[in-house]
Amino acid sequence: MKVTREKRDTTVLVSVAGSVDIYSSPELRGELKVALEQRAPRIVIDLEKVTFVDSSGLATLIEALQKVHEYQGKLVLCGLRAAVLSVFQLSNLDNLFEIRPDVPAALEG
Amino acid sequence: MAEAWRGIRVTIPSDVRYLGAIRTMVDEACTIAGLPEEDRGEVQLAVQEGCANVIRHCYKNQTGRPIDLRLTFRDDALEIHVDDYGTFVDPSRIQSRDLDDVRPGGLGVHLMRKLMDEVRYSKNAWGGTTLTLVKRLKKGGAKENA
Repeated sequence: MKVTREKRDTTVLVSVAGSVDIYSSPELRGELKVALEQRAPRIVIDLEKVTFVDSSGLATLIEALQKVHEYQGKLVLCGLRAAVLSVFQLSNLDNLFEIRPDVPAALEG
Repeated sequence: MAEAWRGIRVTIPSDVRYLGAIRTMVDEACTIAGLPEEDRGEVQLAVQEGCANVIRHCYKNQTGRPIDLRLTFRDDALEIHVDDYGTFVDPSRIQSRDLDDVRPGGLGVHLMRKLMDEVRYSKNAWGGTTLTLVKRLKKGGAKENA
């Protein structure tokens, strides 16, 4: 898995590539922790290049969403491939998260 | 004469670094079994969750303990057994969490049950738990594709 983090105005854009699983999710959690500690008003997580996500990956994202809500911030996911979106749907998480088709749409919202 | 067993057996240590390799192997096994593209990712995820549960809950994240995987190409299905050498866990205690109770964790069993046609737990010969996962072939079968 590869994770990059960049600041765009008041938004922190976290781009993820590869597999987000029990092995790699601690790295993603670490990157998100930085944005959460900065209390970024909006965090956008670009999952366009994510090919696989397991329950540990989902747990990492749920944890980040709950922490963002604690300070009334916003967390948006975008670019989910069909296979990844399907895992969210099976877990009833597609209604919990704000999901946008791509980064521009996520930055607009 | 009994038909020869058709399948793959592999043992990995209880280390999450090995799960990517297992997913690749499972993907290839799905091809041999004749499962369609859309089912392969589902089987990979179910096996991932099964192995991750063994590492986390059975072996308490202790590395170097064995996990045996047996993949059998049945005429009508791909059947996967995940064996651990821990303590047998009563299947009634292995439950999916309520999805309305939104919290990190607890989704692995739910996903396995959603993704596979059968999910069973039983006590194995070593006193540990065997997880059985079955994905049925929609039509045709392993014989046509193997």
